[in-house]
Amino acid sequence: MPEAVVPGGSSLFTVLVADDNDVAQRLCKRVLEKAGYSVLIAADGLQAVDVAFSQHPSMILMDVAMPGIDGLEAMRRIKAEMPAMPIVIASAHSMASDRERFLAAGADNVLSKPFRLADLVSIVAKLAQDQKAQNLEKDGL
Amino acid sequence: MLPGSRPRTASKPSWARGLARRLTPLTAIVAVFAVQAAAGAGPVLVFPLYLTIILLTALQLTRMEALATAILAATAILIPNLVGGDQPADLAPALLLAVVLMVSAVAITEVVRQGRDVAAEAERRAQSVAASEERLRTMLEAAMVGLALADGDGKWIEVNDRLGMILGRSRDEVMHLNLEEVTAENDRAALAAALVLLRSGDIVRWEGELNQLRADGARVPVAIAITRASGHAGGEPLLLVQETDISARRRVDGLRDCLVAVRHVIVSGSPWEQALPQLLSSICAYLGWELAQFWLVDSGRQGIQVRQSWHREATGYDNFREQSRKAPISMGSGLLGRVWQSGVVAALEDLAVANDYDRSDIASGAGLRSMLAFPLVEGGSVVGVIELLSDHPRVVQDDEVTMLSTAGVEIGQFIRRSDVAQALRRSEADHRAIFERSPIGIVRVGGDGELVEANPALLHMLGHDFESMRESAWPDLLRAYDQAASRQRLAPLLAGIPSASSLQVRAATGAGRWLWLQLTATPIPDPNGRPEHLLVMIEDVTTVRETSDQLAEALDSQRDANANLEKLDRTKTEFLSIVSHEFRTALTGIQGFSELIRDGGLEQDEVRAYGGYIFNDADRINRLIGDMLDLDRMESGRMGMRSGDVDINEVLSEAMARAGTAAATVEFKADLDPRLPIVAGDRDRLIQVVSNLVNNAVKYSPDGGTVTLSTRADGGFALVSVTDTGLGIPPEEIGHVFERFRRVRSGAAQSIPGTGLGLTIVKQIVEMHGGKIWVESAVGHGSAFHFTIPLAVEDATSMQRRHA
Repeated sequence: MPEAVVPGGSSLFTVLVADDNDVAQRLCKRVLEKAGYSVLIAADGLQAVDVAFSQHPSMILMDVAMPGIDGLEAMRRIKAEMPAMPIVIASAHSMASDRERFLAAGADNVLSKPFRLADLVSIVAKLAQDQKAQNLEKDGL
Repeated sequence: MLPGSRPRTASKPSWARGLARRLTPLTAIVAVFAVQAAAGAGPVLVFPLYLTIILLTALQLTRMEALATAILAATAILIPNLVGGDQPADLAPALLLAVVLMVSAVAITEVVRQGRDVAAEAERRAQSVAASEERLRTMLEAAMVGLALADGDGKWIEVNDRLGMILGRSRDEVMHLNLEEVTAENDRAALAAALVLLRSGDIVRWEGELNQLRADGARVPVAIAITRASGHAGGEPLLLVQETDISARRRVDGLRDCLVAVRHVIVSGSPWEQALPQLLSSICAYLGWELAQFWLVDSGRQGIQVRQSWHREATGYDNFREQSRKAPISMGSGLLGRVWQSGVVAALEDLAVANDYDRSDIASGAGLRSMLAFPLVEGGSVVGVIELLSDHPRVVQDDEVTMLSTAGVEIGQFIRRSDVAQALRRSEADHRAIFERSPIGIVRVGGDGELVEANPALLHMLGHDFESMRESAWPDLLRAYDQAASRQRLAPLLAGIPSASSLQVRAATGAGRWLWLQLTATPIPDPNGRPEHLLVMIEDVTTVRETSDQLAEALDSQRDANANLEKLDRTKTEFLSIVSHEFRTALTGIQGFSELIRDGGLEQDEVRAYGGYIFNDADRINRLIGDMLDLDRMESGRMGMRSGDVDINEVLSEAMARAGTAAATVEFKADLDPRLPIVAGDRDRLIQVVSNLVNNAVKYSPDGGTVTLSTRADGGFALVSVTDTGLGIPPEEIGHVFERFRRVRSGAAQSIPGTGLGLTIVKQIVEMHGGKIWVESAVGHGSAFHFTIPLAVEDATSMQRRHA
C-alpha cells in the first residue's frame, strides 16, 4: 500500500474505488493517490460491500454496471449499515435521468464517466473537507 | 102433501085450500041432488052429471076422495027412488045406474091413478133431467176452460161464461157468432177442415191450438178440443167445444224460447254486429214486438246511438228509424237515457200519453203505440240499450221484464266478449303478419324446448324447411345457445329467462355456410305466470360480427404494431444506453490517461503503460463500432452473403491453429468427422463464427483448460460443437447469452474483454445460413456451443439421385 500523503497535515482519508473495469481502477487509484488519499479497490458489488464493512473507508467511489450485484444495490446494503458513509456514484450511464436516479437511490454525489481528473479530485476533496470539519467539531466539543 | 102438488102460494093457508077443494065435489053432488029432487028428474038424467063430478074429482083429488064422491053420488041417485016411489021397477035402474056409477068411478080413479103414476114418473124424470142440466150448467160455469156446444157447422148451441171471458165478449155476444167467426183469419182454414172431418164422422175428436179473436181485435191463443157428441139421433152432430186460454203459457214459452233463441245467436260466435239483427228479430218474433232498435254506448260514453234496427215488415217505420238514427241520446235524457243511466228496464204502455219519450210524435205517426227498453249490461256498466216498439198498447209483465233483464246481461257480455275477441283476432292477425313477414327470424318454442313454429325469414336465413329445422337445426342452435350462455355464466335458454336476453352463437346453414346468429329470447308466461313458451328472435349478425371481428383484428394488429414500435423504441433506447455506456467506459480510460500524459510529470514507463491502456480502449471502441455495423447490416438484410462450398473441417482447423499460437495455456482437441460433406455457405462468415466461439472458449477457460472442436453430419446439416472446460454460464444467464451486450461478467469472467456483440453476430450468421445455434453449460464445468449449417445439396441427396 502506498504511503499516505496527508495534505495540510490532516488525518488519512481513504477512498474505496469499486469498479469492474481495470483501466478505470488504475486511473482512479493513480489520480487519488497522487492527490494524497489512500485508495482501496473492489472489482464488483459484493466485494465493495465486504471491503466497506471490513475496512471502513472514508468514502466510496462506486461504479454502477458491475457483475453480481450492481453499484446501486451495493450502495443500498452499505448505507443500511453505515448511513453516514459518503458514496459517490461514478458511472458511464450518463443520460440526464440517470443522475437523478442515482441521487434518489441515496448517492451523496454523482460523477459521470468519462470525467476530468480535476472533477474527481475536487469531489473527493470536498468530502474530505466535510469530514475534517466534522472531526474538528467532534474534537472541539 | 100430495105428490105432484104445486108449491102453494103463501097467501092462503094450505089446509084451507085443501078443505075447500075437498068440499067442492060434495057441494056439486048436493046441488045436483037438490035439482034432481026439485025437478023430480029421473036418475038417468042426473047420471052424466054425477059421472062428470066423479071424473073431475078423480082428476083433482085423491082416489079415495074420488071413490068417496062416487059413493055419495050413487047414494044420491038411489035416495029419490027409495024415498019417493018404492017402485022396485024404478029402483032397479037407479040401482043399476048407481052400480055403473061406482064401477065407472073405480075405473076412472084407476085410470087417473095410472095416469097419475105415469105423470109422476114423467115428472120425476123431468126433474132428474133438470137437475142433471143444472149440475152440467154449474159445471160449465165453474169450469176453468171455455166450454160450448155447437152444431156441426160450429154454430153455438150453448157457451159458458169462461169462453166469453176468453173471447173477451159476453155470452150473448158469443152466441151471436159462430166458432169460425171468433177464430183468427189465418187459423180458419185449419178449423174448417177439422169441422168437415168431425161432421163426416171420420174423427170424433180434434185438438189444436188456434188464435181466437177478441172483441178488441186482439188475438188470444187457445188450446182447443172439439168432440163429436152422439147427440141428435141420426141428425146433425153435436160438437162439444173445449177451449183453454194458453196466452199465459204462450207468453212464458215465448219468453223461454226467446231467451233460448238469444243464447243460440250468442253462442254462434259471430261478431256482435252480425249477430244483432238476428237477436233483434228473435226478440220481436218471440215476444211479439214490431220493431227493435239497438243503441250502442259510444266509446267516449257521451251518448247512445242506433247501430242496428229491425222490424217485422217494411211498412211505415222508415221515418221513425231514420229519425232514431239521427238523434243520439245523452245519458239520463228521456226514457232511453234513463235506462242507460240506471241499467233498469223501462216501458211505456201508451206512447200517445208519454211525456218523456223523445220521438213520441214520430212513433205515434208511424202507428207505434207502446215501447219497452232494456239495458245491455256487462261488468256492472251499460254497453247499450235495446228498444222494442209495438203497434198496440202493451201491458208489460214482470216475467217479461225479468227475462229481458237476463237477456240484456247476456247480450251485454256477448258484445264485450265479441269486442275482445275481435280485438284479439286483430291483434292475432297483426302478430301473425309480423311473424310471417318479419325480416328477423322468429321461432316459438315449447316449454320442453321443442320448436313449435318458425317463420319464413328464419327458414330462409338458415336454408332449412320446417321439418329439418325442428329435427336438427333448432336442437343444434339450442345447444349452441346454452354453451354460449354457460361461457357467459348465464342461464340456459329453457331454465327460466327472467326477461329478454341476448346471445350470439355460431350456426351452420343447410348449405353449410357458417353464420353468426344473435338470439334474443323472451318468455311468454301462461296465465299462472309460468313460462309457457318462448319467443326467440334470431338475427343474422354475420356481417356485423365479421366487420367487428375485422375491426378488432385491425385494432389488435394496430396495437401489436404500436407495441412493436414501442418495443423497438425501448430497444433502441436501451441499445443507445448500452452502447453509450460501453463507449464512455472505454473513453474513461482514454480520456483520463491521456489527460495524465498531457499534464506531464510522468515517469517514462508510466507514459508507456498509459499509452497501452489508451490504445487498447481505442481498439475496443473500433471493434465495437465494427461489430455494431456488422450486426446492423445483418439485421437489416444488407449484408451480402457469398454462397459457396465450404469445408467446415478446414475452417475449424485453421481457427484452432490461430488460437493455439495466441493462447498457449489452453489445450485444443479436435474430433472432426472426416466424411463430413461440404457445406453451402460464406466461408469468411463461417470463419468469423468459428473464431468467435473459439476465442470465447479460450477467454473463459482457465489456464490448463481444454477446448474441443468436433464436427459430424446430422441429417442434412453439419453439426459443429465448441466445448470448453471453463467457467460455465450461470443458469439465469444462459437464456441471454446471444443477446447484445450480455457478457457473462460474474466471478472470474468479469475482467474478460469483449464487445458484448460477438455471440449476437455469431447467431445472426448461423441463422443466415439456415442453421441453428444453442448452448449447454454448467457453472464450473464449462460450456458447449453447438451450431448447424446445411450441407451443400449436390453432396448429399442430389448426387445419390443422379446415380439412381
